[in-house]
Amino acid sequence: MARGRIVAPSPLPGFGLTLGFTTFFLSAVVLLPLAALVIRAFEIPPGELFGLLTDERALASYRLSFGAAALAAGINAVFGFIVAWSLVRYDFPGRRLLDAMIDLPFALPTAVSGIALATVFSPAGWLGGQLALAGVQVAYTRVGVVVALVLIGLPFVVRSVQPALIDVHRDLEDAAESLGAGGLQVFRRIILPTVLPALATGFTLAFARGIGEYGSIVFISGNLPFETEITPLLIVIRLEQYDYAGAAALGFFMLATSFLMLLAINAVQGWGQRRLGLVAGR
Amino acid sequence: MSITLDQVTKRYQSLPVVNDVSLEIGEGELLVLLGPSGSGKSTLLRAIAGLVEIDHGQVYLHGREVTAVAARDRGVGFVFQHYALFRHMSVADNVEFALRVRRMKRADRLARRDELLKLVALEDMDERMPAQLSGGQQQRVAVARALAHRPDVLLLDEPFGALDAKIREELRRTIRRIQRELGISTILVTHDQDEAFAMADRIGVMHQGRLLEAGVPDDLYARPRTRFAATFLGAANLVLGYRLGNELHFDRPGDETVTAREIVAVIRPEEVELTAGGTTSGLTRVGSGVVEELQFAGATERLRVRMSLETGPIPATPDREGADGSTWLLDASRSFPEQRDSPFAVGQRVTVSARRIHSLPTPISSFTALARDAVGAAALAGSPFLTTLAARMQTRITVRSTRTASAPPGMPVLAAGPGAGATALWNLTHGTSQVLVLPAGAELPSRIIVLPGAEADVEFLGVAASLLRHIPAESVLLAIHDGATPERERASCLRILLDARARAQIEHQLDLRTELRFGDLDRELARELDVNPKSMLVLGLDTLNEAETARFASLLELPPLRPVLLVRSPAGAD
Repeated sequence: MARGRIVAPSPLPGFGLTLGFTTFFLSAVVLLPLAALVIRAFEIPPGELFGLLTDERALASYRLSFGAAALAAGINAVFGFIVAWSLVRYDFPGRRLLDAMIDLPFALPTAVSGIALATVFSPAGWLGGQLALAGVQVAYTRVGVVVALVLIGLPFVVRSVQPALIDVHRDLEDAAESLGAGGLQVFRRIILPTVLPALATGFTLAFARGIGEYGSIVFISGNLPFETEITPLLIVIRLEQYDYAGAAALGFFMLATSFLMLLAINAVQGWGQRRLGLVAGR
Repeated sequence: MSITLDQVTKRYQSLPVVNDVSLEIGEGELLVLLGPSGSGKSTLLRAIAGLVEIDHGQVYLHGREVTAVAARDRGVGFVFQHYALFRHMSVADNVEFALRVRRMKRADRLARRDELLKLVALEDMDERMPAQLSGGQQQRVAVARALAHRPDVLLLDEPFGALDAKIREELRRTIRRIQRELGISTILVTHDQDEAFAMADRIGVMHQGRLLEAGVPDDLYARPRTRFAATFLGAANLVLGYRLGNELHFDRPGDETVTAREIVAVIRPEEVELTAGGTTSGLTRVGSGVVEELQFAGATERLRVRMSLETGPIPATPDREGADGSTWLLDASRSFPEQRDSPFAVGQRVTVSARRIHSLPTPISSFTALARDAVGAAALAGSPFLTTLAARMQTRITVRSTRTASAPPGMPVLAAGPGAGATALWNLTHGTSQVLVLPAGAELPSRIIVLPGAEADVEFLGVAASLLRHIPAESVLLAIHDGATPERERASCLRILLDARARAQIEHQLDLRTELRFGDLDRELARELDVNPKSMLVLGLDTLNEAETARFASLLELPPLRPVLLVRSPAGAD
């Protein structure tokens, strides 16, 4: 420590070079633009900033963005769990194909999924037409926003839960059964608690992604102010109106939210590990 | 009886992994199921617990039939190899699990939990999470958890498999103590013979889905019935011996000796006596060889003696043979005083004698492929059926293509087809009572029909048992009676069949399914054989009269050809 080293010397060469590169890269790509955003937001006088953030239209967009994201993440938590369950527990023809297809919303440009959804769910579309007969309108309503977010969020839940379900060894269920637990009890007392941290992580990831989602929503939501307008869209609208202060304020708000979500995800994962006694302290 | 298994069979993809296992375990008894991996012992244990559904047979726990009862209602405690603790629950919650699902009152539950943790000596660990415990501690929690609901039966599936030697030893004692204290009937599954000896009241040896034999440890060690048990329970030299009256010798008889009966002798290494001079009086001379290897191991010395295949005795299993094809290695061990009194050096010639020899009751000592020429004999010896069976039985195959005055000492093997009937008959009347006849390229069957003669005698059943133990196939003990049998006599036909089954079970610990048919013998037999194209027939012969000879001749010579084992009843032998 005489020369003030930050980390213990490693036998592997190249530490200085790689750390330097990492710092540079992170700064250029992540930190610098974000810092610019924060600085821009703080150039606005606090009173005005508060006004911009609590504007009626902005508040409506938060409600939709957060509400729809939470609802979609909740739906995904249930159905994503079922999908993960059937992929892990059963072997059926086409299982691998289905497994690969889960990632499709990841890979697809979000605009493509948005257009596809709008086509299917519009009153003239295959599903939209049928639903319209039943009196349900999906496209250009808040329901449409939720549907888009369910599509986008599904892989997050499935991919989080899958490894945790694989971890629930058959032996655990057998043990519970031999101890007198019925099927429902095995699920409630063994399977669910074991995968709960992973499910929470998946939920949080899907929720975070849902808040920031833009491309897939704008085609199906109809973008009515106060009705089906999400926060990211509002930022774009502000920019198009050359209202940079408004856009920066909302952007700053979204950044802060993302940061909080990241903290939440970390907390959830830490909780999961502590619960299993893998980390000291309880 | 606490646990009774009756013909328990479990198949995976139509292959039986547990094959007709019947077993009884007494009150408070600890039975160890011993077998190599893949022998079906774990599947059997899970079947008893209700974690695996069985395809055939019954399971009784304390007289109650539980075959169709769900695992949670069977009242068994199960301990898994990898503990299977609920990792999201503390030690206390794990132990209390069975009590919680039974909605036991809190005060009672906590009292029971403390009692259990005390039993496994983990009193202060109740707050810990499983991940914070060592492997040995985790397994003790698993034992406590399995005992919480006061099960009638404790089942342990390789409970020490994942632990290191020292902890294993300690945990063995703990479990044995608990088991004795509670007097709970227990089955423990393991592949470790030391563990079996250390824990068991009784050991059941499993191999290829079958329970080969069961008995108290020392008896099983001293008097195994099968080659597999002999070699799996400790080291053993299996040597072909020849019995003439009461005398046993190891020099191979010439071809003219008809009366010598070939047997498989088990000589444990510690029963081998090595001397620089001749054989000590009273001991049986085995042969002589050259000390190849000396291994000092403290209290004992392990030796390997190279024996000649040409002049000396031959091993019953071919795997002991050297690469040169003319020698084999015999295992011996000596105590420290013995090695001090007469030290040997590598390369020294010694006389090998045996203090105690156990001869296996197995009726099949070796196979001899018989054909007119060397090529035919070699083809027969190389057929998938024979090579697989010989490998499984750890039996050697010899080849003979010269005409001799008598049948070979082992079981003769012939090729099916024209002339097979006459050759089989000649062998059956010239010094052997069993002949195996194989179609070209025959493979191991998946169904074996056992059709005894008029009397299903113990020896016939012994031959069948010996074969069935090594073939993972379904087997049916069949009886065919005249279709004109009057109704009131039919019951006695059934009784005779069930008696035969009981004999097979008692004498050879072989469990067979039975089938009784009335009608024309040839037609009913053909029908039974046609159930499965990969059938094999074990046929008991009585008198070798014309009708019988013609029947087996047509089975051996006319298509569809199947593997047939002919066994002649000793009563009919001259």
